[in-house]
Amino acid sequence: MEPNVEAVQPQFRSGISGAKIVFDDIRGLIPDPPETDGTSFTALLELPPPQAVELLVKEDFPAKTMPLPIFPSNIALIDRASMFSVFASADNPPDRTNIFSASSSVKQEPLESEYHRNSSSPAVSDQSLKSIKRKEREKKNMQVKESTKKSKKVVANEASDGSGEQLPYVHVRARRGQATDSHSLAERARREKINARMKLLQDLVPGCNKISGTAMVLDEIINHVQALQRQVEFLSMRVAAVNPRIDFNFDALLAVDSESSIDNSYLGLFPPSIWPEGQTNGSRQQQPWLIDGLHLPSMGRVDNSSNFITPENSLLSYDSPANSASLHSSQLKIEL
Amino acid sequence: MAESPSVANPDANSTVSRKRRKIDPDSPTRILAETGPTRWRTQAEQQIYSSKLMGALRHIRRPDSGGHAAVRDAADRVLAISARGKTRWSRAILTNRLSLRLAHINRKHKKAAKPSAGKSRPRKPAVLQKKLPPVQSKVKVLSRLVPGCRKVSLPNLLEETTDYIAALEMQVKAMTFITGLLNAGQNFTSS
Repeated sequence: MEPNVEAVQPQFRSGISGAKIVFDDIRGLIPDPPETDGTSFTALLELPPPQAVELLVKEDFPAKTMPLPIFPSNIALIDRASMFSVFASADNPPDRTNIFSASSSVKQEPLESEYHRNSSSPAVSDQSLKSIKRKEREKKNMQVKESTKKSKKVVANEASDGSGEQLPYVHVRARRGQATDSHSLAERARREKINARMKLLQDLVPGCNKISGTAMVLDEIINHVQALQRQVEFLSMRVAAVNPRIDFNFDALLAVDSESSIDNSYLGLFPPSIWPEGQTNGSRQQQPWLIDGLHLPSMGRVDNSSNFITPENSLLSYDSPANSASLHSSQLKIEL
Repeated sequence: MAESPSVANPDANSTVSRKRRKIDPDSPTRILAETGPTRWRTQAEQQIYSSKLMGALRHIRRPDSGGHAAVRDAADRVLAISARGKTRWSRAILTNRLSLRLAHINRKHKKAAKPSAGKSRPRKPAVLQKKLPPVQSKVKVLSRLVPGCRKVSLPNLLEETTDYIAALEMQVKAMTFITGLLNAGQNFTSS
């Protein structure tokens, strides 16, 4: 813990602006010569860990002119401290190997290194103290992960997380016989993402399930997209062919407001599967609930497409049969 | 936008249909149904699209620009609107509409005047063929097909393609339906 503690100190002298004030405050917090026997163990627990360590390691205490940058038990400051300590300390290499190496054996290393550091603090090797430090270290590692790693690797870590255990580490567990360096990790994550999306596409495009191999599947996908686009072209040609016969341009004649009401009346007749036969019957049976949402304030607007639905309009009981009756008469006049 | 008057009520309709379907406003099933390519499969989407398309078709000017191109553009635009801006291709369609349409009209006029050969962008023939891996070339082709996805990374491209294919299928279904309606209506009036 000493190297960490020593490294933390200069950081705090230089880094945090308000830390000095904190130091002064905390100096007042330190109790007078603490005993390290079991009686004050509980007192030790209440102190934030670095201070506790400093108290434990008695030879360091008089050597330091300034007390250790110990905080009040403020979680935010502890986190910040751990963050700063990461960037300054010699912990970085072991932490990096934490992140980048993926084999399970490496996972032992951070624990061992922790214990190694913890073992420097003698006698009162309190499990709780260790656990506090470990949590600090874990927080630091998590932040290291967040700050120094690329997002891809985070995804890789989280995606291929082995067992979570009780630590908030996100360990990457390499499969047997696979490389474990950072590049292949990132590559593998990328490939997995791509393969997942390809699988979705294969489900979407009919006939792609049997094909294996990315190139063929891509071929099929391209063909499918082109076929769909061609279909849209043909359909638009058909609509355009129908269009000149039917004059859509009734804006001049009628109010624009009730255009939406016409749309709703269309919606009442849209059984998606069986459209020609089911226009009257199907719409009544399948989607009676659509009629509830329909507002027909004034069926003044007439469109020629509604010419054929007005018989059904009268069949489907809308708000007012009077509206549909007026629709009949008006469109008979306006009809081409 | 031409479709704005018809947006309000179809949305009301869709909320009616959605209220009928969902149990809990914030249930994950509803969120899943609203995002992802499966949302194009729902009936509600098809109805929204159809109604908006009918509204858009009404506002097409009489065929001064080639008839079916205008219909196609309107259909694509309405499809992009129905996507609610969550996908890249839909945003690309909406933002490129004006420029593409102008280019198309200009091209049509030019074609009438003078037959032009080849594509608008001249290809340099002397480029060294570096991208030989067939997968890469296919990915390029695919990125050209999906609107607005030319410089998109591969996983995002695949995601956009998924959504695009689902949307296109829905578009085809809805347009077939509308064509049938119009034809039936035409037959009804003419007979």
